[in-house]
Amino acid sequence: MTEHAGTAPLLTMRGIAKSFPGVRALKGVELTVHAGEVVALLGENGAGKSTLMNVLAGVHPDYEGVIERDGAPAAIHSPKDAQRHGIGMIHQELNLVPELSVAENVFLGRELRTARGTVDKKTQEARARELLAGLGLAVPPRRLVKHCRLAEQQLIEVAKALNLDVRLLVMDEPTSALADAEVRRLFAVIRDLTARGVGVVYISHRLEELEEIAGTVTVLRDGAYVGTRRMAETTRAELVRLMVGRPLGELFPRRPEQHRGGEVRLAAEGLSYASQDGGPSLYGVDVSVRAGEIVGIAGLMGAGRSEVLQALFGHYGARAHGRITVDGRRYRPRSPGHAIRRGLALVAEDRKGQSLVTANTVRFNGSLAALARYRTPWRTVHRRRERAAVAGQIEALKVKTPGMETAVEHLSGGNQQKVVLAKCLLTRPSVLLMDEPTRGIDVGAKAEIHRLMDELAAQGTAILVVSSELPELIGMCDRVLVLCEGRLTGEFHRDPARGPQVGQEAVLTAAMARETVTTHHLRGTRS
Amino acid sequence: MTKTQPDPAPAGGEGPDGSGGPDGTGAVSRARRILPVLGSLQAYIGLILIVAIGVITKGDIFLNQTNLTNAVGAFATRGILAVGVTLVILAAGIDLSVGSLMGFASMSAAIMVAHHDMPVWLIVPACMLIGAGFGLANGIGTAWLKIQSFVMTLAMMSIARGLDRKMSDNESVGTLVAGPDGELTENSESFQKLGTPDNNVLEGILGPDGIYFPVLAFLMVCVVFHLLLSRTTFGRHIYAVGGNPTAARLSGINVTFVIIAVFTLSGMLAGFAGPIDAAYSVSADPQAGYTYELDAIAAAVIGGASLAGGKGTIIGTFVGALILTLLDNVLGLNAVDDNWQLVIKGSIVVLAVVLQRPDLLQSIKNGIDRLRGGRSRTGPGRTPSKARVPGPASAPASEETPR
Repeated sequence: MTEHAGTAPLLTMRGIAKSFPGVRALKGVELTVHAGEVVALLGENGAGKSTLMNVLAGVHPDYEGVIERDGAPAAIHSPKDAQRHGIGMIHQELNLVPELSVAENVFLGRELRTARGTVDKKTQEARARELLAGLGLAVPPRRLVKHCRLAEQQLIEVAKALNLDVRLLVMDEPTSALADAEVRRLFAVIRDLTARGVGVVYISHRLEELEEIAGTVTVLRDGAYVGTRRMAETTRAELVRLMVGRPLGELFPRRPEQHRGGEVRLAAEGLSYASQDGGPSLYGVDVSVRAGEIVGIAGLMGAGRSEVLQALFGHYGARAHGRITVDGRRYRPRSPGHAIRRGLALVAEDRKGQSLVTANTVRFNGSLAALARYRTPWRTVHRRRERAAVAGQIEALKVKTPGMETAVEHLSGGNQQKVVLAKCLLTRPSVLLMDEPTRGIDVGAKAEIHRLMDELAAQGTAILVVSSELPELIGMCDRVLVLCEGRLTGEFHRDPARGPQVGQEAVLTAAMARETVTTHHLRGTRS
Repeated sequence: MTKTQPDPAPAGGEGPDGSGGPDGTGAVSRARRILPVLGSLQAYIGLILIVAIGVITKGDIFLNQTNLTNAVGAFATRGILAVGVTLVILAAGIDLSVGSLMGFASMSAAIMVAHHDMPVWLIVPACMLIGAGFGLANGIGTAWLKIQSFVMTLAMMSIARGLDRKMSDNESVGTLVAGPDGELTENSESFQKLGTPDNNVLEGILGPDGIYFPVLAFLMVCVVFHLLLSRTTFGRHIYAVGGNPTAARLSGINVTFVIIAVFTLSGMLAGFAGPIDAAYSVSADPQAGYTYELDAIAAAVIGGASLAGGKGTIIGTFVGALILTLLDNVLGLNAVDDNWQLVIKGSIVVLAVVLQRPDLLQSIKNGIDRLRGGRSRTGPGRTPSKARVPGPASAPASEETPR
C-alpha cells in the first residue's frame, strides 16, 4: 500500500485498557491506522475486538490509555466525540429502526430539511437510492427496514455509515450476512473509500476476506495485544497461530470414509411456499438427505435457502407444501413443535433472535426444546435428569461456560452456538437442519462446530446445512444443492463419480443462473 | 413487543431457579447465592427498611398480630391479582383488567349469596370461571387477533366495569343476608368466612385461632403459582415465551396457547379474589377493585418483574406485595396524609426499578463522571480526565456495582 513515513498516522491507540465488573476486557492494546489503509482486527470471539472498537466509538466513556488522531491527542468519551473526530462505525449488531423506511434510516439523526423546515424526503430518498446502488442494492428507499432481509439491512447499515463524512470507518463483521457477490460489491466500495484517504478498521473472521482487502493485520488474544503483521508478509497459518496461541488442525475435518450415506432420512419433493411479505418464495424444490450425509444448500441472498429449512421445520405451517417424508413416513409440516416430535431439529439463522432466550441460563436454553423428555406425570420438570442431560451435552460439545446456571448472554458467540446445538441434539433429531451454523463465530469454534457436524453424521444423523461461505459448504458437504430465486439450479457432489463435482465456480454460476434475468426484471418494473 | 432496552445484567429473579450471574465475586452475589430464595435482593432490603421504620415509629402497634393480619388481609386481594399479573408480565404482556374483573366477580358473588342464596363452595368456583372467561377473551384478543395486550386489557377493564355497574344498577349489594328467623342465613354466614376480619377458618387445625382466610388464600395462591412457574414445563414455557417468543416457537412451544393460558389464569385469579373482596367489605361495591391493577403491577415490578418479559418470580411479587402492604400500614399508622401516601408509593416503584437496573445505575454514574470530566476537558491542553485514568477511588467503585 502507501508509504506512511513522515506523516502522522490517522489513528493511534496506545495502552488501551478497559475493565467491566469482574472482567478485564482489554489490557495494553495498540492499534495504528494510516490514511488510505485497511487494517484488519483479528482475534477469537471474546478477544476484545468489539470492546476496543466501542472504546473508539465512544461507547465506553471510561478507559485507560491514549488515543491520537493525526498525531494530536483525542479524548473520545461519547459517541458525539467520536463523530467529531470523523470516526464512523458499523456495529456487528444492526442498529436500524425497523419501523422507519430505508431512506429514513440512512439519514437518521441527520435528516435533510426543506426550506419550510420539514424533512426533505425526496432528496433523502434520491440520495439513499444512490448510496444503495453503489452497494449494488436495489431496495426501494421507501420500503420499511423491517421488510428488508438481513443481508439488505447489513448493506443499509453500510450505506448509513457512508452517508456520514468519515475519516475512519470501523466495520465489525460487515459481511456476516452477505453472500459472495454482495461481499464483492462491498469490497469495491471499501477500495473506493481508501483511495479517497479514508482509513478502515475491518473486523472479520473470514481469513480469505482479510487477505483480499486488508493491508495490515493486528491480532488480539484474550484482551491483549499479540502483534501486527503486514498482510503480504504473513500466512494464514501464522495468523491462526497468533489468534489461538496454538496451531490449528484442519478447518474442515470431514473424514472421507463417512461419505457413504445410509437410508433416506428426509425426502421432500416439490417443496413450495408462497411468501406473503415480499420475502423469497419456493417453487417445487426437491431435497433429500440420507443418514450420515451432509447436504449443503448454496445460493445468493434471497434465493430461498433459509426458507427451505423453515418450510421443512413447520415455520410456515400448512402454507408450505410438497410431498415430504421423514424416516419413510409421510410428513405434513404443521408447526415447529410438530417438526420436533417428528425428529427434525433446526439451528436457526439468528442465534440471539431466533434460538436463545439470552437472559436465561445454559440449562434453561439447553433443555427448552426437549422438556417433554424430562417431564414427570405431574407435568413438572425432572430437574435431576434435565441437569444430567444438559451436563452431558456441555461435556460432549465442549461448551466453555462457568456452569449451567450461567446466563447464555455471558457466553461468547461460539459457545452460544454450541448451546443452540445442544438444545437441538437433546431432542435426538434424525434430521438436523442448520442455518448458517458458523456465522459470526471465531475460527477455533468454527472448526469445532465442523468437527461436531462430522461426528453427528458419522452417528447417522442426516444434516441439511445452509451457508453463505462456499469454502465451508465445499469442505463439509457430500452434496451441495444450489438455489436461485426459490428454484433448484444445480446439484454438485463431493464424489465426482456421482455427478458434477462441487467447486466454487460451478456453484456460483448455478447460483447466479437467473441473476441477469432478475436485474432486467427489476429495471423493467422501476422505469 | 420490541425490546428497546437490552438488559446486559439481569437484576431480578432471572428464571425459575434464578441464580446469579457467572461471576461469583462480590458480597452481593455471594449473599444472593446464600439466600435460598429468589427475587431481588433490593426488594428484601426495602422490606427490611419498611419493617424497621414501622418498628421505630410505632413499634408496639405495628408488631401487634392483629395489625399485621389486618394489613395483609386488606392487601390480600391485590396480592392475588399481582400473582396473575406476574404470569402475564412474564409472558411479555400486561393485564390492566384485573381490578375490574375482580369487581365484576365481587358483584357476582354478592348477588349469588344475597339474591340466590347459593353456598360458598359453589360461589367461589363460579366466580373463578367467570374471571377465567374474561381472561380467555383477553388471551384470544392478544394471541389470535394480535391486539397488543395493553390495549386489549384496557378495553376489557372498561367492559367489565360497565357490566359490573349494569348488573348491579350502580348500587352496592350487601352480603349479610338475614333469614326468616332474623339470623344470618347459613350460606351468608359461611360466605363471610371468606374475608370478614376476626372470622377465621381452620380453627384447631392451624393453631387454636385458625387463620384469616384472605391471608391463607394469598399464601396458597403464591405457593401454587410459584410451583407452577418454577417446576412445571408450562412454567418454563412462560419464561421462554416472554424472553424470546421466536426462540420459544422454534423450540416447539405453542406460543399462542401459552399467551391465552396466562391471561386466562390471571382472569381466574381475579375471579377468585372477587368473593374474598365482597366478604371483606361485607358488600360488593360497583367500584370495587378500582385501580387495584396498578397496585398489582407495582407489586410485580417492585419484586423484580420486567415488563419486557421473561424476568420475574412469584417470590419477588410476594415480597413486592408485602412491601406495599406494610408501606400502606406504616404510613397509615403514622397518619400520613392520603395524598402523600400515593406520592410515596409511586416514588418507591421508581426507586425499586432503578435499584434493580445496574446498567441504569452505571449510566447515572457515568453521567456524573462525564460532567466532571467535561469540566476538566474544557481546560487547555491535555488534561488527563478522570475518566481516562481512573484513580484508585473509581476503579473499585465500578466493580462493586450491585448486580
